[in-house]
Amino acid sequence: MDKSTIICRCEEISYEEIEEVLTNGATTFDDIKRLTRCGMGPCQSKICHSLVASMIHEKTNTPYFQIPLPRMRMPLSPIKLETLATNSTSFSSVKSVMDEVELEDGKVR
Amino acid sequence: MDRSYETIIIGGGVVGSSIAYHLSEQTKEAVLVLDQKFPLSGTSGSTQAWVWVHNKTPSWYAEFSMYSAELYSYLSKKIGDVEFKRTGGLSPFFNEADREKAVRLAEAYEQIGIKIKVLSREEALEKEPFLNPDVVGATYSAIDGNVNPFRLVDRYMRAAKKNGVQYSTYNKVTEIQKMPGKFIVVSEKGEFSCKNLILAGGTWSRELGKLVDVNIPINQLRGQILVTEPLKPFLNYTISGLRQAFNGEVLIGYSMEQEGFNRATTLDVIQETANMAVHYVPSLKKAKVVRAFSGIRAMPEDGFPILGKIPGVENLYVAATHSGVTLSPLIGTLMTELILEGETSIPIDRYSISRFAK
Repeated sequence: MDKSTIICRCEEISYEEIEEVLTNGATTFDDIKRLTRCGMGPCQSKICHSLVASMIHEKTNTPYFQIPLPRMRMPLSPIKLETLATNSTSFSSVKSVMDEVELEDGKVR
Repeated sequence: MDRSYETIIIGGGVVGSSIAYHLSEQTKEAVLVLDQKFPLSGTSGSTQAWVWVHNKTPSWYAEFSMYSAELYSYLSKKIGDVEFKRTGGLSPFFNEADREKAVRLAEAYEQIGIKIKVLSREEALEKEPFLNPDVVGATYSAIDGNVNPFRLVDRYMRAAKKNGVQYSTYNKVTEIQKMPGKFIVVSEKGEFSCKNLILAGGTWSRELGKLVDVNIPINQLRGQILVTEPLKPFLNYTISGLRQAFNGEVLIGYSMEQEGFNRATTLDVIQETANMAVHYVPSLKKAKVVRAFSGIRAMPEDGFPILGKIPGVENLYVAATHSGVTLSPLIGTLMTELILEGETSIPIDRYSISRFAK
C-alpha cells in the first residue's frame, strides 16, 4: 500500500486520509469511519475493514485481537424503503415537530 | 503530558469541543479535554444535525437557539468547512388543526424577530415539489439549516488543538477531588489538576455530577435514523423529519424512546421511520436504505439547557443540553465569557442548574 492506495472503495478514501486521522488520535475503526467516511458506504466495511485493521496495527502497535470490529448496521445489505414500510400512517415512537408545539389558552407557550 | 491546567473540560463532544475551541481563541492558558471514548463516538456522532430554531418552544428558548444559529456562518469562516447549509426549515402538516397552531406560532415569534411563514398546500408544494401532495400546509422559516456533525466536531477539535488545547481520549474520569483553589481530576490515565472544571458530559452528565455530589438531571432519549443511498439533489429544505446531505444521502428520523443507554436499532421503529419517509416524500419508497443507526440524546429533565456556574463550588461549571448541535456555537461563546470575565453577553440565568434545587 502506498499513500494513494484506495482503502475504502465505496467512499473512495485513501491510505493517506486514514493515516492522517490515526496520527490525530483515532484508534478504532469506528473513530476512523466517523472522521473520514471510510466504511460508511453501501458495503458497510466488508471490503475495507481488514485493510484498516492492518493500518491500525501498523500505526499504533495494537495487537490484532485488541482492535474492535466495526459496528455493523441494519439492514446489512441495502434494501428499498418500500420493503421496510408498512404503509401505516399512525405513529407512536416517531413524532412530528408540530405535535411538540403546545398551545396554552390559545397561545404558544 | 502536562498534569496541571488552567481549565479541564470533561467531555469532548460538540458542546465540550466548542467550549474548548472558543476558550482557546481567547486565552493562552492551558486547556485539557478529557473524553471517556473518542469525540463523535456518542451523541454528537449520531444525529441528523439540524440547526433548528423555528418551532422550538417557548419563545425565549427559540430566541436563544436563533442567536446560536446565526453564529454558524461566522464559525464556518473561522474553523473551516463544516458543510453548514442554511437551507431554511419546513415543517409539513397533514391536518387542518395544525394550521391553527402554526398561525399562533408565527404570530408569537414575529415579536422576537423569528420570521415564520405559514404556507398553503400549493406554496408548500411549490417550495418542495417532492412533498406528498396530500400535505395541508407547512411552517417555513429561513433561519433553519443543517450541518455535518462529523466535520463540525472534527473542526472544533482541530482548531482547538491548533490553539494549544490538549485532548486525552479513551480516558474515563473516575474521581474528582475539590481542593482549596483547585480540582484534582483522577482518570484512567492518571491525575490532572486544574483551576476551572467544566462538566460537559452530555448523556453521562448525571453520572459525572455524582463525582462532585451535584445532581445534574439529564436523562437519555433514543432516536433512530435511516440513511439512504446517495440520491441526486431533490430536497431543497431541511424538513422536520428528514434532510438531504451534501453527498446526496437522505437522513430520516424523528423517533423518541426512553431506553437508557441502549443504542440498538429496532425493526418496529425502523418501519415506522420508513412509513414517515414515504408519507412525507412518497418517491423515497424506491430509494435504498444503506444503514440505520441510533443515538442517545441528552435530555434535561425540563428540556432546557443546563448552563453556567454550579452554585456552592468555586470554579465548577456545567454545560449539558439537548440540541447541542444547534446550540454549540453560542454555548461555547457564552461559557468562555463566563469563565474569563465572570459574566455573559446574553443572560443565561434562566438556564442555571439552581432551578432544580427546589
